Amino acid sequence: MIRYIFRRIPSFVIVVALASIVAFLLPRLAPGDPAVQMAGPDATTEQVDAIRHAAGLDLPLVTQYLNWVGGIFHGDLGTSFSYHRPVSELIAASMESSFELAIFAAIIMVVLALVLGVLGGTQLRKTSRTVLDVINTAMIAMPAFLVGLILIVVFGIVLRVLPISGQVNLSENFAEGIKYLILPAIALALGQAAVIARLLQTSMLTTRGEEFVDLATAKGASPARITFRHVLPASLNTAIVALGLRIGELLGGAIVIEAIFSRSGLGQLAVQAVNSRDYFLVQALVIGAVMIAVLSQLTSELVTAAVDPRVRLDG
Amino acid sequence: MSVALAAVRRKNINPTLRRYLQALRFPRGIGGLILLVILVASALLAPLLFPGGYDQQTSDSLQGLSLAHPFGTDELGRDIFARSLFGLRTDLSIIVVAVPLGMVTGTVIGMLGALSPLAGNIFQRVLDVILGFPGIILGVCVVLVMGAGWASLVVAIAISSLPTFGRLSRAAMLSQSQREYVIAARTLGVSRATIITRHILPNAIDPILVAGTVFVVAAIFIEAGLSIIGLGIQPPQPSLGSLLNSATRFISQSPTYIVGPTVVLFLLALSFSLISDALNRSVNRP
Repeated sequence: MIRYIFRRIPSFVIVVALASIVAFLLPRLAPGDPAVQMAGPDATTEQVDAIRHAAGLDLPLVTQYLNWVGGIFHGDLGTSFSYHRPVSELIAASMESSFELAIFAAIIMVVLALVLGVLGGTQLRKTSRTVLDVINTAMIAMPAFLVGLILIVVFGIVLRVLPISGQVNLSENFAEGIKYLILPAIALALGQAAVIARLLQTSMLTTRGEEFVDLATAKGASPARITFRHVLPASLNTAIVALGLRIGELLGGAIVIEAIFSRSGLGQLAVQAVNSRDYFLVQALVIGAVMIAVLSQLTSELVTAAVDPRVRLDG
Repeated sequence: MSVALAAVRRKNINPTLRRYLQALRFPRGIGGLILLVILVASALLAPLLFPGGYDQQTSDSLQGLSLAHPFGTDELGRDIFARSLFGLRTDLSIIVVAVPLGMVTGTVIGMLGALSPLAGNIFQRVLDVILGFPGIILGVCVVLVMGAGWASLVVAIAISSLPTFGRLSRAAMLSQSQREYVIAARTLGVSRATIITRHILPNAIDPILVAGTVFVVAAIFIEAGLSIIGLGIQPPQPSLGSLLNSATRFISQSPTYIVGPTVVLFLLALSFSLISDALNRSVNRP
């Protein structure tokens, strides 16, 4: 197992390192000088130079990059140009909203994926299977923002049962906060859950053809026991891997969902940072998103390897 | 359409084209195509239908759905139906440029990668990095460099399509290059460039084309996503995504605002997924 972990780490490090270079270079490729922007329209050349020097932007690119990466390990992400506050402080302020959304959406995603997947992986009558397939396909085909818009129309405008814009942090008022979370979290989770459910369904149906399932049937195990004790554990592999990939997608989708439901989370912060060319803020957010995406991918691979020795032994 | 179908039946056209046209024999293929033709036609005819263009302001702002304004009016009293059709034009113009661009670049990258192991490894790492940027974040990075607008949407969509096409073409290339006909051509002394373009490419193109039609749907959603967060097409020019952006801002005053753009977006995505599904079935027929 440990050997497997060590084998997987280099590619993870390479992707994160390359992504950090991309995240670092991108804002600097853009035309325009942030120091001039920060200094305002009436600033003298000396003032602009002073600002540039204070932000370390007059150093060679390689030095700037190394300073930034070195800072990350000390928890120093630089200072935002537009807010004049440390980037780590800004991120911390927006983090609660985004994390609540992501975690709530991830819970819905896992539960829904399991329910739909197990349901699809059991023997069903033809009509029930068709209905399930249609629901599943529709869910896969719709992007999160479309689901979000439909939910807004149905639950926020026609039925008027749930709030459709704004947020209340769970730490302030749990019951009220959940109400604000339900629609965006469902919007975010639905499509991703359908993808995982589809994979789980396929692998469960394949597993049902295996001999150990026949053996269990022959021994007189109940259908429920066969499904949950024999078929499901042997079919979770692909679903777990997909889960890791989907968490990254969840993150990307969250930016748009936050905009639609007017939640002020990390996504909104990122949009503002891009609009104001806030180098350090953008860098930190991009590399953070990439790291979470790649880490969740790695974690799911490790979990798969831990569950199934075939994975860690070959290749 | 019926002419095309008749030609298919008479079997007197190019066999490759015939295989693709057979997608029209599936109900979903013909349905998707009809839907797409209607959408494209109304997008092309938009300047004729609405000579005033997409920026014609009136005093009736934020009206609901009515006969005069099928999709209602927006915050400046502009007809949302007209704006949706012009928005559809924007979306189609992005798709027409971005998807083929990504398809060609990705295919070339994948094939070069299959030719030399070193180049292949480098390209795979690059594609891994692209895949590491989840969803819309890649687009956000492109906007950061190029500024929001049509061009950065095209680039963002093309770049995010590279992993799909790069991997598909590399896989196709590797599997085809061991086939007898390639070995035969090589033995006959045909040059490597000719083998790739004249022999391998026609046999490897099917999955790439199908993936292309599938990716159009993704492209539509990338445009919409970036425009919804305000980093796509900028006002006053409409796109389906930028219409949704303003619609969400006025959602409590005029809930019906989002209906029109959502319907058009949905139909556009639906038409391409129906076509890609039919195409996939027709090329994979035994």
